[in-house]
Amino acid sequence: MRDTRRSRIVLAILVLMSITLIVFDLRGGLTQPLRSVGETVLGSAERAMAGVVVPVRNLVDSLGGLGSADERIAALEQENAQLRAELDTAANDRARIEDLNALLGLVSTNEYTTVPAQVIAVGPAQGFAWTVTIDAGSRDGVERDMSVISGAGLVGRTIDVGPTTSTVLLIVDATSSVGGRLSGTSQIGIVSGTGRQDSLTMQLLDPLAVVDVGDVVVSFGSEGGRPYAPGIPIGVVAEMRGTEGQLTRSAILEPYVDISRLDIVGVVLRAPEGPPRSTLDPALTGVGGGG
Amino acid sequence: MVGRRIVVSALLLILAVLIEVTILAPLDFPGATPTLVLVVVVILAGQFGATTGAIAGFAGGFLIDIAPPAAGTIGITALLLTIVGYAAGRFAESDDRPWWSLAILAGLAAPLVILAGSALGGLLGDPRVRWDDVIFLMLTSAGYALALGLILGRPLRRLCRWIVPEAYPR
Repeated sequence: MRDTRRSRIVLAILVLMSITLIVFDLRGGLTQPLRSVGETVLGSAERAMAGVVVPVRNLVDSLGGLGSADERIAALEQENAQLRAELDTAANDRARIEDLNALLGLVSTNEYTTVPAQVIAVGPAQGFAWTVTIDAGSRDGVERDMSVISGAGLVGRTIDVGPTTSTVLLIVDATSSVGGRLSGTSQIGIVSGTGRQDSLTMQLLDPLAVVDVGDVVVSFGSEGGRPYAPGIPIGVVAEMRGTEGQLTRSAILEPYVDISRLDIVGVVLRAPEGPPRSTLDPALTGVGGGG
Repeated sequence: MVGRRIVVSALLLILAVLIEVTILAPLDFPGATPTLVLVVVVILAGQFGATTGAIAGFAGGFLIDIAPPAAGTIGITALLLTIVGYAAGRFAESDDRPWWSLAILAGLAAPLVILAGSALGGLLGDPRVRWDDVIFLMLTSAGYALALGLILGRPLRRLCRWIVPEAYPR
């Protein structure tokens, strides 16, 4: 029976404050200062915390790997033999790949000017948002709406930047959409996140496009390379939905980047100098649009 | 005396938020991320009553809402945890409850918070909410919250009693 009246008043005030915050946030922009404070203050604290946590996490990961080392060696030996066999055909393929790269504007990821960063925090799963915090911020040259990549492909884009940390919206988030291009046929479409970490959907703009399972999708590139730089691999087509000619035709993609195992990523400060997309001239190259 | 209570609550909540995003979320538990902040709010409410519980809930929820990489609507977690903190405080005030009853309370509150958060998010037009995942998230979060409550219940109670002895008249 301790002062229930006072606690009820406090409850009412706090509920009203929360609702006010929600309304302000939905109005857009009004709570941006709060986010900036969070990014600056809590981001720095997370960074300090990660200084302790990340080495421990890596140690635990490597200890976990000890038991399965034999299996891994066997798998690697097998892979080695397979790769050796493939090497024989590689010289031939390489020349072809170079041609195709020049043709299709696939730029290898190390041609981008990037800032490396470590993933230090992840959003709770019950928020349904796929976002991570990285330990690079405006002091490292990172700005809002820059592409984030890893060795495997496109990871996402920065949505909030503090002095020493940034928040990255991953491509699998339901609110993320990236302009994508099928590297085989140059068909374009919009790649959206599904909210699941292992699939993306690509809405094809051309309902008659010929798409095969296993086709590679790369980023189309935005104006000035922001938020998405051109030519970054996104994923491969795993499944087609809808038949040819249907208005809403979409492909299910499997992203290259394993979202659950993100560790070191790179923020693209500048896309490659030259235009990565050369003009397609079928007469010159003898490639007939891929089918 | 009130100052000490605020300091211990604030430190515990900040630490809980940091642990939740830098350790628990990256570990990628099946289903929901263990809601350490909610458990701490429930335990604090159990020690210090409904007023502190409501304030701790609001503060903890607000921190979750703005701590990077949060991208949801600011205020939703604050609203839900305020109610959880108040309810836990009233529950613990009514008479002598065993310490583990707070863990059970946390285990009940965690799935309700997810349900209410998803419903509120859906109503406010959040495109991210996936209803087919909600049941699994609720079930796992109940288990995690119960476990965390059982693990942390007694140590945190001892900590509170040690730092703020005047809150325990007996």
